[in-house]
Amino acid sequence: MEEETRGMAEQVPMLSVQDVHKHFGGVPVLNGVSLNLFRGDIKVVIGPSGGGKSTLLHCINFLVELDAGRIFLNGVRVNHTRKRELYAYRQKVGMIFQDFNLFDHLDALHNVMIGLVQVRKLPRSEARQRAEAELERVGLGDHMAKYPAELSGGQKQRVSIARALAMEPGVMLLDEPTSALDPELIGEVHEVIRALASRGMTMLLVTHEIGFAGTLANEIYFMDGGRIVEQGPPQKILFDAEQARTREFCSKIGRLHENSG
Amino acid sequence: MPEGITVISENLPYILGGIWVTLAVVGGALTMGLSLGLVLAVTQVYGNRTLRRIVAVYVWFFRGIPLLVLLFIFYFGILAELQIELSPFTVSIIVLGLISSAYQSQIIQGSILSLPEGQFKAARSIGMSDARAILFIILPQALRLSIPGWTNEYTIIMKDSAVTYALGVTEILARSRHVAERTYQHFWIYILAGCIFLVLTYIGTKLMQLLEEKVRIPGYAR
Amino acid sequence: MEELLFLRREVAPELLAGLWMSIQLIIPSAICGLLIGIVIGTLRVYGNRLLKGFAGLYVLFFRGFPLLVQLYLWYFGLPRIGIYLSPFASAVIGFSLCSGAYHSEYVRGALQSIRRGQLLAAYSLGFSRTRAIFSILLPQALRRALPGSGNELIYLIKYSSLAYMVTCIELTGKGSILANFYFKYMEIFSIVGAIYLLMASVVSWGLNRLEDWIAVPGFDRPKI
Repeated sequence: MEEETRGMAEQVPMLSVQDVHKHFGGVPVLNGVSLNLFRGDIKVVIGPSGGGKSTLLHCINFLVELDAGRIFLNGVRVNHTRKRELYAYRQKVGMIFQDFNLFDHLDALHNVMIGLVQVRKLPRSEARQRAEAELERVGLGDHMAKYPAELSGGQKQRVSIARALAMEPGVMLLDEPTSALDPELIGEVHEVIRALASRGMTMLLVTHEIGFAGTLANEIYFMDGGRIVEQGPPQKILFDAEQARTREFCSKIGRLHENSG
Repeated sequence: MPEGITVISENLPYILGGIWVTLAVVGGALTMGLSLGLVLAVTQVYGNRTLRRIVAVYVWFFRGIPLLVLLFIFYFGILAELQIELSPFTVSIIVLGLISSAYQSQIIQGSILSLPEGQFKAARSIGMSDARAILFIILPQALRLSIPGWTNEYTIIMKDSAVTYALGVTEILARSRHVAERTYQHFWIYILAGCIFLVLTYIGTKLMQLLEEKVRIPGYAR
Repeated sequence: MEELLFLRREVAPELLAGLWMSIQLIIPSAICGLLIGIVIGTLRVYGNRLLKGFAGLYVLFFRGFPLLVQLYLWYFGLPRIGIYLSPFASAVIGFSLCSGAYHSEYVRGALQSIRRGQLLAAYSLGFSRTRAIFSILLPQALRRALPGSGNELIYLIKYSSLAYMVTCIELTGKGSILANFYFKYMEIFSIVGAIYLLMASVVSWGLNRLEDWIAVPGFDRPKI
């Protein structure tokens, strides 16, 4: 494991993504993306579809092979070729998917429990207690015995958040958590994410919900064509961006999402 | 093995001759299975309660009884009782045909049921009788859809044809056995026999795929 | 009346002995076949290049060769290269290996029908590939494969009659011996047939119960 000394900065970023490249069959999707997340940061990535946002998150979690680039967790380079290191890393980085990806054959409680039992090797009783607590915290205490097919989209996403949180990650990656939801269900998921933020969770969020992003994030990245075109505080990016592309995107989306949040 | 090769090549024509017998049995059985299966399928979908029940029992019976037992029942049992003399070859085709008809009826029935209800309603609405509707609208579509299931049925019957050896039909396996007993090259001869079946299965499957392509309706998505 | 007495005294005990032998053939073959099927099916979907190739060849051979040819290979063929198997062993090995190939196709189809997201979610929680396959994917796949594999089990019951052809005397074999001895072909083979039908029906019913019992609400969704 490489140690990377960061001479100038005082703090070591919790998560550091450096110069990630990825192409699919010759088509470049990520063209040298770098970003840093410090503890407590909530950073949001916005941009047009196909801009590489989702791929970026998948790369950070090594669910997709990087063509080039390095990932650092707390200043230590993640060596994804070492299986055990990779699995340990993934436990510390939680991920929320657009299609929830709940395990279809398990009810909500067991969905949250299975990681604790199988990966962290907790005894079942302890795993159950923790799982129940996490589900209560996202407001699904009454739905623990329900199977994914019996839950609404918003409930499924909340279960998936509980499942990720049960592993006690240091960072959370959220890949368009509300894109697959009916409008009236988006609010409950936003509430949970907000609660998470107020508890100090470090998050990297990809979303189309610009209004929501604006209220939550301390920094916004605008990505297009596999690159970070511009980054800065929400006020700047959303309302007073430097780049023309950024302004164009935000004005279009802003009109659509005037009432979101 | 070296001496085995000469032995095998000497007897190869004899064994390969069995291919014709096998193909005849398989072809006969599939044809019988298709014709009967069609009738059964249509009855199961469009017939009245009693008829449907009869078909259900028929299907249950012929899908539940082992091929070998049915061959014995027919050849030694029924024919003896009825004093009819039929060659093992004919009996094999009949028995395999009956069993196949049960399975094929399920394939075709499934295809018919997968067609949207509107097809039959539309046919009726232009004044077609039920019989015509089934014949000209439903079946052409259902049969096309059944080709994959049919391909599967072909591979099954092809392999089942080897069992007819028990009645003395001189198909591939029977001939292989004769040669093996004479030459003591059991191991390689049975491998050869198996490969012949494999090749026949492969060719048949490819032909089915060609057929599927040929009768494909442009843009027909199911 | 005399017929019935005859049946009870002479025929029944023999047929029951045959039935017992059939059961002794079927149960181990079913279990081994299913296990082999799970292994081969999983290898075909998640194995490395070499294992995938091996599994592919396995299925090609054991589904391509007629079962009877396979049985002859084990019973008559192996002795020529020095391996001597009893009729019972040849039959069980033959049934297991062959059945395994068919089961593997159902398992393979079932594994492939599971959305990739399930695997990604497991990875994101820190599951290793192996653990993800065992804890998340196979439990779902086996539920999906149950109709097909159950069907294969019914086939096994019927094809167990072929053991007679390698001189393992099970139900069909006993029936044949009795029928030839008493010249009562129709009666005896009909009874034999009826017993197979009964076995198949009972197992079929049992499988339906099993499917209901392990059903998870909303699980039949096909791959998106």
